[in-house]
Amino acid sequence: MKLSKFKQSENILFILFLLPAFFFIVIAQFYPLLYSFYISFTKWSLIKWKPIALVGLSNYQRVLQDSLFKHAFKISLIFACITTPVELVIGFLLAYMITGERKIYKITRTILVIPMTIAPVAVGTIWRMLLNTRAGLINYLLQKIGINGPNWLATPSTAFFSILIVDIWEWTPFAMIIFVAALSSIPVDLFSAAQIDGASRWQILRYITLPLIAPITVLIVLFRFIDSILVIDIIYTTTYGGPGFSTNVITFHIYKQALKYFNITYAAAASWILQIFCLLVAIVLLMCSGKLQEKI
Amino acid sequence: MKKIYPKQKEFIFLLIKGAIIILGTLAVLVPFIYLFLNSIKPEFEFLSVPPKLFPSRIMTKYYSSLLASGSETLKFLFNSLLVTGATTILAVFGGALAAYSLSHLRVSPKTISIIIFSILLVRFYPKITTVIPYFILMKKFHLLDTLISIIIAHVSITVPFVVLLMMSFFREIPPSIEESAKLDGCNVWQVFCKIVLPLSSPGLATSAVLTAIISWNEFLIASSLASVNAKTLPIAVSSFITDKGILWGPMSAMTTLIVIPIVLFTLLLQKYLVRGLTLGAVK
Repeated sequence: MKLSKFKQSENILFILFLLPAFFFIVIAQFYPLLYSFYISFTKWSLIKWKPIALVGLSNYQRVLQDSLFKHAFKISLIFACITTPVELVIGFLLAYMITGERKIYKITRTILVIPMTIAPVAVGTIWRMLLNTRAGLINYLLQKIGINGPNWLATPSTAFFSILIVDIWEWTPFAMIIFVAALSSIPVDLFSAAQIDGASRWQILRYITLPLIAPITVLIVLFRFIDSILVIDIIYTTTYGGPGFSTNVITFHIYKQALKYFNITYAAAASWILQIFCLLVAIVLLMCSGKLQEKI
Repeated sequence: MKKIYPKQKEFIFLLIKGAIIILGTLAVLVPFIYLFLNSIKPEFEFLSVPPKLFPSRIMTKYYSSLLASGSETLKFLFNSLLVTGATTILAVFGGALAAYSLSHLRVSPKTISIIIFSILLVRFYPKITTVIPYFILMKKFHLLDTLISIIIAHVSITVPFVVLLMMSFFREIPPSIEESAKLDGCNVWQVFCKIVLPLSSPGLATSAVLTAIISWNEFLIASSLASVNAKTLPIAVSSFITDKGILWGPMSAMTTLIVIPIVLFTLLLQKYLVRGLTLGAVK
Protein backbone atom coordinates (compact mmCIF):
# COMPACT_ATOMS: atom_id res chain seq x y z
CA MET A 1 0.00 0.00 0.00
CA LYS A 2 2.74 2.38 0.98
CA LEU A 3 4.72 1.41 -2.09
CA SER A 4 1.83 2.00 -4.47
CA LYS A 5 1.21 5.41 -2.98
CA PHE A 6 4.88 6.21 -3.51
CA LYS A 7 4.60 5.05 -7.11
CA GLN A 8 1.50 7.13 -7.65
CA SER A 9 3.16 10.30 -6.45
CA GLU A 10 6.07 9.42 -8.68
CA ASN A 11 3.72 9.11 -11.62
CA ILE A 12 2.28 12.55 -10.94
CA LEU A 13 5.80 13.91 -10.93
CA PHE A 14 6.45 12.27 -14.28
CA ILE A 15 3.34 13.89 -15.69
CA LEU A 16 4.64 17.23 -14.46
CA PHE A 17 7.89 16.49 -16.31
CA LEU A 18 5.90 16.39 -19.56
CA LEU A 19 4.40 19.82 -19.10
CA PRO A 20 7.22 22.15 -20.24
CA ALA A 21 7.58 20.37 -23.59
CA PHE A 22 3.83 20.17 -24.06
CA PHE A 23 3.38 23.83 -23.26
CA PHE A 24 5.45 24.79 -26.31
CA ILE A 25 3.99 22.16 -28.62
CA VAL A 26 0.41 23.07 -27.70
CA ILE A 27 0.88 26.84 -28.03
CA ALA A 28 2.81 26.83 -31.28
CA GLN A 29 1.70 23.60 -32.98
CA PHE A 30 -1.52 21.96 -31.83
CA TYR A 31 -3.55 25.06 -31.10
CA PRO A 32 -2.57 26.78 -34.38
CA LEU A 33 -3.29 23.55 -36.24
CA LEU A 34 -6.82 23.31 -34.88
CA TYR A 35 -7.41 27.04 -35.21
CA SER A 36 -6.39 27.02 -38.87
CA PHE A 37 -8.81 24.13 -39.41
CA TYR A 38 -11.54 26.22 -37.83
CA ILE A 39 -10.88 29.41 -39.77
CA SER A 40 -10.75 27.48 -43.04
CA PHE A 41 -14.55 27.27 -42.70
CA THR A 42 -15.09 30.94 -41.88
CA LYS A 43 -15.13 34.37 -43.40
CA TRP A 44 -12.36 36.52 -42.00
CA SER A 45 -12.67 40.21 -41.26
CA LEU A 46 -9.40 42.06 -41.71
CA ILE A 47 -10.76 45.03 -39.79
CA LYS A 48 -11.90 43.15 -36.71
CA TRP A 49 -9.06 40.68 -37.25
CA LYS A 50 -11.22 37.67 -36.46
CA PRO A 51 -13.66 35.31 -38.19
CA ILE A 52 -17.11 36.83 -38.61
CA ALA A 53 -19.20 34.05 -40.18
CA LEU A 54 -19.19 30.35 -40.87
CA VAL A 55 -19.22 29.73 -44.58
CA GLY A 56 -19.01 25.94 -44.86
CA LEU A 57 -16.80 24.63 -47.61
CA SER A 58 -16.75 27.74 -49.73
CA ASN A 59 -13.08 28.51 -48.97
CA TYR A 60 -12.15 25.02 -50.10
CA GLN A 61 -14.22 25.50 -53.20
CA ARG A 62 -12.47 28.77 -53.89
CA VAL A 63 -9.05 27.14 -53.50
CA LEU A 64 -9.85 24.14 -55.65
CA GLN A 65 -11.21 26.34 -58.43
CA ASP A 66 -8.24 28.66 -58.33
CA SER A 67 -6.01 28.03 -61.34
CA LEU A 68 -3.01 29.50 -59.50
CA PHE A 69 -3.41 26.95 -56.71
CA LYS A 70 -3.67 24.09 -59.19
CA HIS A 71 -0.66 25.40 -61.04
CA ALA A 72 1.39 25.73 -57.84
CA PHE A 73 0.40 22.23 -56.74
CA LYS A 74 1.38 20.82 -60.12
CA ILE A 75 4.76 22.59 -60.03
CA SER A 76 5.45 21.20 -56.54
CA LEU A 77 4.47 17.68 -57.61
CA ILE A 78 6.75 17.77 -60.65
CA PHE A 79 9.49 19.26 -58.49
CA ALA A 80 9.23 16.52 -55.86
CA CYS A 81 8.89 13.75 -58.45
CA ILE A 82 12.19 14.77 -60.04
CA THR A 83 14.29 15.73 -57.01
CA THR A 84 13.37 12.70 -54.89
CA PRO A 85 14.60 9.95 -57.23
CA VAL A 86 17.68 11.92 -58.31
CA GLU A 87 18.69 12.57 -54.70
CA LEU A 88 18.05 8.93 -53.91
CA VAL A 89 20.25 7.62 -56.73
CA ILE A 90 23.14 10.03 -56.24
CA GLY A 91 22.87 9.68 -52.47
CA PHE A 92 23.09 5.91 -52.72
CA LEU A 93 25.97 6.03 -55.16
CA LEU A 94 27.96 8.29 -52.83
CA ALA A 95 27.05 6.25 -49.77
CA TYR A 96 28.05 3.02 -51.50
CA MET A 97 31.47 4.51 -52.22
CA ILE A 98 32.20 6.00 -48.82
CA THR A 99 30.74 3.58 -46.30
CA GLY A 100 33.43 2.22 -44.04
CA GLU A 101 35.81 3.03 -41.24
CA ARG A 102 38.71 4.38 -43.31
CA LYS A 103 39.80 7.91 -42.47
CA ILE A 104 39.35 9.14 -46.04
CA TYR A 105 35.74 7.97 -46.02
CA LYS A 106 35.03 9.67 -42.73
CA ILE A 107 36.49 12.97 -43.89
CA THR A 108 34.59 12.82 -47.16
CA ARG A 109 31.34 12.10 -45.33
CA THR A 110 31.89 15.09 -43.04
CA ILE A 111 32.40 17.40 -46.01
CA LEU A 112 29.53 16.01 -48.04
CA VAL A 113 27.08 16.56 -45.19
CA ILE A 114 27.65 20.34 -45.09
CA PRO A 115 25.04 21.44 -47.69
CA MET A 116 22.17 20.07 -45.61
CA THR A 117 23.31 21.62 -42.35
CA ILE A 118 23.69 25.23 -43.50
CA ALA A 119 20.71 27.57 -43.74
CA PRO A 120 18.52 26.88 -46.81
CA VAL A 121 18.31 30.64 -47.24
CA ALA A 122 22.09 30.73 -47.55
CA VAL A 123 21.97 27.88 -50.06
CA GLY A 124 19.63 30.06 -52.07
CA THR A 125 21.88 33.14 -52.04
CA ILE A 126 24.99 31.09 -52.85
CA TRP A 127 23.28 29.58 -55.88
CA ARG A 128 21.86 32.90 -56.91
CA MET A 129 25.43 34.07 -57.28
CA LEU A 130 26.65 30.87 -58.93
CA LEU A 131 23.84 31.06 -61.48
CA ASN A 132 24.12 34.76 -62.21
CA THR A 133 24.04 35.19 -65.96
CA ARG A 134 26.91 37.62 -66.35
CA ALA A 135 29.18 37.18 -63.38
CA GLY A 136 28.24 33.73 -62.05
CA LEU A 137 30.71 30.87 -61.77
CA ILE A 138 28.57 28.42 -63.75
CA ASN A 139 28.36 30.57 -66.85
CA TYR A 140 32.04 31.46 -66.43
CA LEU A 141 32.95 27.78 -66.58
CA LEU A 142 30.56 27.15 -69.48
CA GLN A 143 32.20 30.03 -71.34
CA LYS A 144 35.59 28.34 -70.84
CA ILE A 145 34.40 25.30 -72.76
CA GLY A 146 32.78 27.44 -75.42
CA ILE A 147 29.15 27.39 -74.34
CA ASN A 148 27.13 30.56 -73.93
CA GLY A 149 25.38 30.00 -70.61
CA PRO A 150 21.64 30.70 -70.45
CA ASN A 151 19.83 33.26 -68.34
CA TRP A 152 19.42 30.69 -65.58
CA LEU A 153 17.00 32.36 -63.19
CA ALA A 154 15.37 34.69 -65.68
CA THR A 155 13.65 32.33 -68.12
CA PRO A 156 10.87 29.98 -66.95
CA SER A 157 12.29 26.62 -68.06
CA THR A 158 15.85 27.22 -66.87
CA ALA A 159 14.57 28.75 -63.63
CA PHE A 160 12.70 25.55 -62.84
CA PHE A 161 15.74 23.51 -63.79
CA SER A 162 17.85 25.71 -61.51
CA ILE A 163 15.72 25.15 -58.42
CA LEU A 164 15.90 21.41 -59.10
CA ILE A 165 19.71 21.63 -59.09
CA VAL A 166 19.72 23.70 -55.91
CA ASP A 167 17.45 21.27 -54.06
CA ILE A 168 19.47 18.28 -55.25
CA TRP A 169 22.70 19.93 -54.13
CA GLU A 170 21.25 20.70 -50.73
CA TRP A 171 19.48 17.44 -49.93
CA THR A 172 21.38 14.61 -51.61
CA PRO A 173 23.55 14.49 -48.44
CA PHE A 174 20.44 13.56 -46.45
CA ALA A 175 19.83 10.47 -48.57
CA MET A 176 23.56 9.77 -48.42
CA ILE A 177 24.04 9.73 -44.66
CA ILE A 178 20.97 7.61 -44.10
CA PHE A 179 22.18 5.14 -46.71
CA VAL A 180 25.60 5.14 -45.02
CA ALA A 181 23.94 4.31 -41.70
CA ALA A 182 21.85 1.59 -43.35
CA LEU A 183 24.80 0.09 -45.23
CA SER A 184 27.01 0.00 -42.15
CA SER A 185 24.33 -1.88 -40.24
CA ILE A 186 24.43 -4.83 -42.66
CA PRO A 187 26.53 -7.61 -41.07
CA VAL A 188 29.88 -8.02 -42.84
CA ASP A 189 29.63 -11.83 -42.64
CA LEU A 190 26.85 -11.69 -45.18
CA PHE A 191 29.16 -10.11 -47.75
CA SER A 192 32.12 -12.37 -47.10
CA ALA A 193 29.93 -15.46 -47.26
CA ALA A 194 28.58 -14.33 -50.64
CA GLN A 195 32.09 -13.58 -51.88
CA ILE A 196 33.32 -17.00 -50.91
CA ASP A 197 30.42 -18.46 -52.84
CA GLY A 198 31.76 -16.57 -55.86
CA ALA A 199 29.19 -13.79 -56.09
CA SER A 200 30.29 -10.76 -58.08
CA ARG A 201 30.15 -7.24 -56.68
CA TRP A 202 27.09 -6.56 -58.80
CA GLN A 203 25.33 -9.73 -57.62
CA ILE A 204 25.98 -8.87 -53.99
CA LEU A 205 24.58 -5.39 -54.54
CA ARG A 206 21.56 -6.70 -56.42
CA TYR A 207 20.61 -9.69 -54.26
CA ILE A 208 21.86 -8.79 -50.78
CA THR A 209 22.41 -5.06 -50.28
CA LEU A 210 19.45 -3.57 -52.14
CA PRO A 211 16.75 -5.84 -50.66
CA LEU A 212 18.13 -5.23 -47.16
CA ILE A 213 18.01 -1.46 -47.46
CA ALA A 214 14.64 -1.35 -49.26
CA PRO A 215 12.57 -0.40 -46.17
CA ILE A 216 14.93 2.47 -45.31
CA THR A 217 14.87 3.60 -48.92
CA VAL A 218 11.10 4.00 -48.71
CA LEU A 219 11.56 6.11 -45.58
CA ILE A 220 14.05 8.36 -47.39
CA VAL A 221 11.50 8.73 -50.19
CA LEU A 222 8.95 9.73 -47.57
CA PHE A 223 11.18 12.38 -46.00
CA ARG A 224 12.45 13.78 -49.27
CA PHE A 225 9.14 13.73 -51.13
CA ILE A 226 7.24 15.56 -48.41
CA ASP A 227 10.06 18.04 -47.76
CA SER A 228 10.31 18.73 -51.50
CA ILE A 229 6.59 19.37 -51.71
CA LEU A 230 6.98 21.82 -48.82
CA VAL A 231 10.08 23.62 -50.12
CA ILE A 232 10.08 27.40 -49.68
CA ASP A 233 13.37 28.89 -48.44
CA ILE A 234 15.42 28.28 -51.58
CA ILE A 235 12.56 29.48 -53.77
CA TYR A 236 12.31 32.66 -51.76
CA THR A 237 16.00 33.42 -52.13
CA THR A 238 16.62 32.32 -55.72
CA THR A 239 13.61 33.00 -57.94
CA TYR A 240 10.92 34.40 -55.61
CA GLY A 241 8.44 32.21 -57.48
CA GLY A 242 9.24 33.70 -60.84
CA PRO A 243 9.77 34.44 -63.62
CA GLY A 244 6.01 34.63 -64.06
CA PHE A 245 4.71 31.77 -61.96
CA SER A 246 7.19 29.21 -63.25
CA THR A 247 8.65 28.37 -59.81
CA ASN A 248 5.64 29.37 -57.72
CA VAL A 249 5.64 26.22 -55.56
CA ILE A 250 2.71 25.43 -53.30
CA THR A 251 4.12 26.50 -49.92
CA PHE A 252 5.37 29.76 -51.40
CA HIS A 253 1.96 30.32 -52.99
CA ILE A 254 0.17 29.85 -49.66
CA TYR A 255 2.80 31.95 -47.88
CA LYS A 256 2.19 34.87 -50.22
CA GLN A 257 -1.58 34.52 -50.03
CA ALA A 258 -1.44 34.58 -46.23
CA LEU A 259 1.23 37.09 -45.39
CA LYS A 260 1.37 39.34 -48.42
CA TYR A 261 -2.29 39.57 -49.49
CA PHE A 262 -3.79 38.56 -46.11
CA ASN A 263 -6.07 36.03 -47.77
CA ILE A 264 -6.22 34.29 -44.41
CA THR A 265 -9.08 31.85 -44.93
CA TYR A 266 -7.97 30.96 -48.44
CA ALA A 267 -4.51 30.17 -47.09
CA ALA A 268 -5.94 28.12 -44.23
CA ALA A 269 -8.08 26.04 -46.56
CA ALA A 270 -5.22 25.61 -49.03
CA SER A 271 -2.83 24.53 -46.29
CA TRP A 272 -5.33 21.96 -45.05
CA ILE A 273 -5.66 20.49 -48.52
CA LEU A 274 -1.87 20.26 -48.57
CA GLN A 275 -1.95 18.80 -45.07
CA ILE A 276 -4.31 16.01 -46.03
CA PHE A 277 -2.29 15.26 -49.13
CA CYS A 278 0.95 14.96 -47.11
CA LEU A 279 -0.76 12.79 -44.53
CA LEU A 280 -2.00 10.39 -47.22
CA VAL A 281 1.46 10.20 -48.79
CA ALA A 282 3.00 9.53 -45.37
CA ILE A 283 0.50 6.78 -44.53
CA VAL A 284 0.96 5.00 -47.87
CA LEU A 285 4.75 5.15 -47.72
CA LEU A 286 4.92 4.09 -44.06
CA MET A 287 2.77 1.08 -44.90
CA CYS A 288 5.07 0.25 -47.84
CA SER A 289 8.09 0.45 -45.57
CA GLY A 290 6.39 -1.81 -43.02
CA LYS A 291 5.55 -4.40 -45.70
CA LEU A 292 9.13 -4.45 -46.97
CA GLN A 293 10.42 -4.77 -43.41
CA GLU A 294 8.26 -7.85 -42.88
CA LYS A 295 9.70 -9.51 -45.97
CA ILE A 296 13.25 -9.42 -44.60
CA MET B 1 38.48 -9.49 -48.72
CA LYS B 2 39.36 -7.65 -51.88
CA LYS B 3 41.73 -10.27 -53.24
CA ILE B 4 38.80 -12.43 -54.33
CA TYR B 5 38.13 -10.10 -57.26
CA PRO B 6 40.46 -10.00 -60.26
CA LYS B 7 43.07 -7.25 -60.01
CA GLN B 8 42.09 -5.37 -63.14
CA LYS B 9 38.44 -5.11 -62.23
CA GLU B 10 39.39 -3.99 -58.76
CA PHE B 11 41.55 -1.24 -60.21
CA ILE B 12 38.75 0.09 -62.40
CA PHE B 13 36.37 0.03 -59.45
CA LEU B 14 38.84 2.01 -57.34
CA LEU B 15 39.24 4.50 -60.16
CA ILE B 16 35.49 5.08 -60.40
CA LYS B 17 35.28 5.32 -56.65
CA GLY B 18 38.03 7.93 -56.50
CA ALA B 19 36.44 9.94 -59.28
CA ILE B 20 33.05 9.96 -57.57
CA ILE B 21 34.55 10.97 -54.23
CA ILE B 22 36.55 13.81 -55.79
CA LEU B 23 33.60 15.04 -57.87
CA GLY B 24 31.27 14.97 -54.87
CA THR B 25 33.72 16.83 -52.66
CA LEU B 26 34.34 19.49 -55.32
CA ALA B 27 30.61 19.96 -55.92
CA VAL B 28 30.21 20.71 -52.23
CA LEU B 29 33.32 22.79 -51.60
CA VAL B 30 33.55 24.98 -54.72
CA PRO B 31 30.35 26.96 -54.00
CA PHE B 32 31.65 27.77 -50.52
CA ILE B 33 35.05 28.87 -51.79
CA TYR B 34 33.29 30.99 -54.42
CA LEU B 35 31.08 32.54 -51.74
CA PHE B 36 34.04 33.39 -49.55
CA LEU B 37 36.03 34.86 -52.45
CA ASN B 38 33.04 37.04 -53.33
CA SER B 39 32.90 38.38 -49.81
CA ILE B 40 36.47 39.74 -50.00
CA LYS B 41 36.45 40.95 -53.61
CA PRO B 42 36.40 44.64 -54.67
CA GLU B 43 33.08 45.66 -56.26
CA PHE B 44 34.24 46.33 -59.81
CA GLU B 45 35.72 42.84 -60.12
CA PHE B 46 32.26 41.24 -60.04
CA LEU B 47 31.25 43.20 -63.10
CA SER B 48 34.41 43.06 -65.15
CA VAL B 49 34.22 41.06 -68.39
CA PRO B 50 35.14 38.24 -68.07
CA PRO B 51 34.41 38.19 -64.32
CA LYS B 52 37.42 37.78 -62.05
CA LEU B 53 37.20 34.66 -59.91
CA PHE B 54 40.04 35.48 -57.58
CA PRO B 55 40.20 38.92 -56.02
CA SER B 56 43.21 41.00 -57.02
CA ARG B 57 43.40 42.28 -53.46
CA ILE B 58 41.74 41.11 -50.30
CA MET B 59 39.41 43.53 -48.63
CA THR B 60 37.37 43.18 -45.48
CA LYS B 61 35.23 46.24 -46.18
CA TYR B 62 31.93 44.34 -46.34
CA TYR B 63 32.54 42.61 -43.06
CA SER B 64 33.63 45.73 -41.26
CA SER B 65 30.62 47.70 -42.49
CA LEU B 66 28.23 44.84 -41.67
CA LEU B 67 29.67 44.48 -38.20
CA ALA B 68 30.27 48.16 -37.44
CA SER B 69 28.98 49.03 -34.00
CA GLY B 70 25.31 50.00 -34.04
CA SER B 71 24.74 48.45 -37.47
CA GLU B 72 21.55 46.58 -38.31
CA THR B 73 23.37 43.36 -39.08
CA LEU B 74 24.99 43.37 -35.67
CA LYS B 75 21.53 43.61 -34.14
CA PHE B 76 20.27 40.73 -36.30
CA LEU B 77 23.33 38.68 -35.41
CA PHE B 78 22.60 39.30 -31.76
CA ASN B 79 18.93 38.33 -32.34
CA SER B 80 20.02 35.12 -34.01
CA LEU B 81 22.39 34.25 -31.17
CA LEU B 82 19.71 34.98 -28.58
CA VAL B 83 17.00 32.98 -30.35
CA THR B 84 19.33 30.04 -30.98
CA GLY B 85 20.69 30.07 -27.43
CA ALA B 86 17.32 30.29 -25.72
CA THR B 87 15.74 27.74 -28.05
CA THR B 88 18.57 25.27 -27.47
CA ILE B 89 18.42 25.54 -23.68
CA LEU B 90 14.63 25.35 -23.48
CA ALA B 91 14.22 22.60 -26.05
CA VAL B 92 17.00 20.39 -24.71
CA PHE B 93 15.93 20.73 -21.10
CA GLY B 94 12.19 20.44 -21.77
CA GLY B 95 12.74 17.63 -24.22
CA ALA B 96 15.03 15.65 -21.91
CA LEU B 97 12.52 15.95 -19.06
CA ALA B 98 9.66 14.82 -21.27
CA ALA B 99 11.69 11.95 -22.69
CA TYR B 100 12.63 10.77 -19.19
CA SER B 101 9.01 10.98 -18.17
CA LEU B 102 7.81 9.05 -21.23
CA SER B 103 10.29 6.26 -20.60
CA HIS B 104 9.20 5.89 -16.94
CA LEU B 105 5.53 6.86 -16.92
CA ARG B 106 3.28 4.05 -15.74
CA VAL B 107 0.48 4.22 -18.26
CA SER B 108 -0.55 1.83 -20.99
CA PRO B 109 1.97 1.42 -23.81
CA LYS B 110 -0.77 2.50 -26.17
CA THR B 111 -0.98 5.94 -24.56
CA ILE B 112 2.77 6.31 -24.87
CA SER B 113 2.75 5.37 -28.54
CA ILE B 114 -0.05 7.85 -29.19
CA ILE B 115 2.03 10.57 -27.53
CA ILE B 116 5.09 9.57 -29.54
CA PHE B 117 3.06 9.47 -32.74
CA SER B 118 1.70 12.96 -32.19
CA ILE B 119 5.24 14.15 -31.52
CA LEU B 120 6.37 12.60 -34.81
CA LEU B 121 3.48 14.24 -36.60
CA VAL B 122 5.06 17.63 -36.00
CA ARG B 123 7.89 16.52 -38.30
CA PHE B 124 5.66 15.78 -41.27
CA TYR B 125 2.93 18.31 -41.63
CA PRO B 126 3.32 21.50 -43.65
CA LYS B 127 4.59 24.19 -41.29
CA ILE B 128 2.72 26.77 -43.35
CA THR B 129 -0.51 25.46 -41.78
CA THR B 130 0.55 26.62 -38.33
CA VAL B 131 2.37 29.74 -39.46
CA ILE B 132 -0.84 31.63 -40.27
CA PRO B 133 -2.80 30.95 -37.03
CA TYR B 134 0.35 31.36 -34.94
CA PHE B 135 0.82 34.75 -36.57
CA ILE B 136 -2.80 35.61 -35.65
CA LEU B 137 -2.31 34.38 -32.10
CA MET B 138 0.86 36.41 -31.61
CA LYS B 139 -0.82 39.47 -33.05
CA LYS B 140 -3.56 39.09 -30.43
CA PHE B 141 -0.97 38.89 -27.65
CA HIS B 142 0.89 41.85 -29.17
CA LEU B 143 3.95 39.65 -29.53
CA LEU B 144 4.53 40.14 -33.25
CA ASP B 145 8.07 41.15 -34.10
CA THR B 146 9.42 39.97 -30.75
CA LEU B 147 12.10 37.40 -30.09
CA ILE B 148 9.86 35.60 -27.57
CA SER B 149 7.34 34.66 -30.25
CA ILE B 150 10.12 33.23 -32.42
CA ILE B 151 11.71 31.36 -29.53
CA ILE B 152 8.41 29.71 -28.52
CA ALA B 153 7.83 28.59 -32.11
CA HIS B 154 11.38 27.31 -32.50
CA VAL B 155 11.18 25.33 -29.27
CA SER B 156 7.90 23.82 -30.44
CA ILE B 157 9.44 22.52 -33.67
CA THR B 158 12.67 21.26 -32.08
CA VAL B 159 11.42 19.76 -28.84
CA PRO B 160 9.90 16.72 -30.61
CA PHE B 161 13.30 15.86 -32.04
CA VAL B 162 14.90 16.15 -28.63
CA VAL B 163 12.26 13.90 -27.05
CA LEU B 164 12.78 11.16 -29.63
CA LEU B 165 16.57 11.44 -29.50
CA MET B 166 16.77 11.46 -25.71
CA MET B 167 14.42 8.50 -25.41
CA SER B 168 16.79 6.48 -27.56
CA PHE B 169 19.71 7.53 -25.33
CA PHE B 170 17.87 6.87 -22.05
CA ARG B 171 17.08 3.37 -23.24
CA GLU B 172 20.81 2.64 -23.15
CA ILE B 173 21.12 3.40 -19.42
CA PRO B 174 20.85 0.18 -17.39
CA PRO B 175 17.83 0.42 -15.02
CA SER B 176 19.92 -1.06 -12.20
CA ILE B 177 21.91 2.18 -11.90
CA GLU B 178 18.77 4.22 -11.30
CA GLU B 179 17.38 1.59 -8.90
CA SER B 180 20.48 1.63 -6.74
CA ALA B 181 20.48 5.43 -6.65
CA LYS B 182 16.88 5.31 -5.42
CA LEU B 183 17.81 2.79 -2.74
CA ASP B 184 20.50 5.22 -1.62
CA GLY B 185 17.73 7.74 -1.00
CA CYS B 186 17.73 9.88 -4.15
CA ASN B 187 14.33 11.13 -5.24
CA VAL B 188 13.23 11.12 -8.89
CA TRP B 189 14.47 14.63 -9.51
CA GLN B 190 17.88 13.89 -8.03
CA VAL B 191 18.17 10.66 -10.00
CA PHE B 192 17.38 12.60 -13.16
CA CYS B 193 19.82 15.44 -12.54
CA LYS B 194 22.68 13.62 -10.90
CA ILE B 195 22.61 10.19 -12.56
CA VAL B 196 20.63 10.15 -15.77
CA LEU B 197 21.65 13.46 -17.34
CA PRO B 198 25.41 13.04 -16.84
CA LEU B 199 25.22 9.48 -18.20
CA SER B 200 23.47 10.65 -21.34
CA SER B 201 25.62 13.68 -22.05
CA PRO B 202 26.36 12.54 -25.62
CA GLY B 203 22.60 12.57 -26.16
CA LEU B 204 22.34 16.07 -24.74
CA ALA B 205 25.16 17.20 -27.00
CA THR B 206 23.51 15.65 -30.04
CA SER B 207 20.19 17.27 -29.19
CA ALA B 208 21.82 20.63 -28.55
CA VAL B 209 23.71 20.60 -31.85
CA LEU B 210 20.63 19.60 -33.81
CA THR B 211 18.39 22.14 -32.09
CA ALA B 212 20.90 24.95 -32.51
CA ILE B 213 21.28 24.23 -36.23
CA ILE B 214 17.54 24.09 -36.85
CA SER B 215 16.90 27.30 -34.93
CA TRP B 216 19.85 29.20 -36.43
CA ASN B 217 18.73 28.29 -39.97
CA GLU B 218 14.96 28.56 -39.58
CA PHE B 219 13.30 30.91 -42.07
CA LEU B 220 9.58 30.35 -42.60
CA ILE B 221 8.32 31.01 -39.07
CA ALA B 222 10.78 33.76 -38.24
CA SER B 223 10.06 35.59 -41.47
CA SER B 224 6.32 35.55 -40.80
CA LEU B 225 6.76 36.98 -37.31
CA ALA B 226 9.66 39.40 -37.62
CA SER B 227 9.10 42.56 -39.60
CA VAL B 228 11.60 45.08 -38.22
CA ASN B 229 13.21 44.54 -34.86
CA ALA B 230 13.16 40.80 -34.30
CA LYS B 231 14.74 39.81 -37.63
CA THR B 232 17.22 36.98 -37.47
CA LEU B 233 20.12 36.60 -39.91
CA PRO B 234 18.30 34.34 -42.41
CA ILE B 235 15.52 36.93 -42.67
CA ALA B 236 18.04 39.72 -43.07
CA VAL B 237 19.85 37.92 -45.89
CA SER B 238 16.59 37.16 -47.68
CA SER B 239 15.87 40.87 -47.87
CA PHE B 240 18.77 41.24 -50.32
CA ILE B 241 16.60 39.38 -52.80
CA THR B 242 13.72 41.76 -53.35
CA ASP B 243 16.11 44.34 -54.78
CA LYS B 244 16.40 44.29 -58.53
CA GLY B 245 20.14 43.88 -58.65
CA ILE B 246 22.35 41.83 -56.41
CA LEU B 247 24.47 43.59 -53.81
CA TRP B 248 27.22 41.04 -54.27
CA GLY B 249 29.62 42.11 -51.56
CA PRO B 250 27.30 42.61 -48.58
CA MET B 251 25.16 39.62 -49.56
CA SER B 252 28.11 37.24 -49.72
CA ALA B 253 29.59 38.62 -46.51
CA MET B 254 26.33 38.13 -44.64
CA THR B 255 25.79 34.67 -46.10
CA THR B 256 29.32 33.77 -45.00
CA LEU B 257 28.42 34.97 -41.49
CA ILE B 258 25.38 32.66 -41.42
CA VAL B 259 27.24 29.73 -42.87
CA ILE B 260 30.51 29.76 -40.92
CA PRO B 261 29.27 28.75 -37.45
CA ILE B 262 27.30 25.86 -38.92
CA VAL B 263 30.18 24.64 -41.08
CA LEU B 264 32.44 24.69 -38.01
CA PHE B 265 29.76 22.86 -36.01
CA THR B 266 29.50 20.25 -38.74
CA LEU B 267 33.24 19.72 -39.01
CA LEU B 268 33.97 19.65 -35.27
CA LEU B 269 30.87 17.91 -33.94
CA GLN B 270 30.31 15.41 -36.73
CA LYS B 271 30.28 12.61 -34.18
CA TYR B 272 27.20 14.02 -32.46
CA LEU B 273 25.55 15.32 -35.57
CA VAL B 274 25.04 12.15 -37.54
CA ARG B 275 22.78 10.46 -35.04
CA GLY B 276 20.73 13.65 -34.90
CA LEU B 277 20.45 14.10 -38.65
CA THR B 278 19.43 10.53 -39.32
CA LEU B 279 16.84 10.69 -36.58
CA GLY B 280 13.51 9.18 -37.38
CA ALA B 281 14.79 7.31 -40.39
CA VAL B 282 17.31 5.01 -38.73
CA LYS B 283 16.73 3.61 -35.30
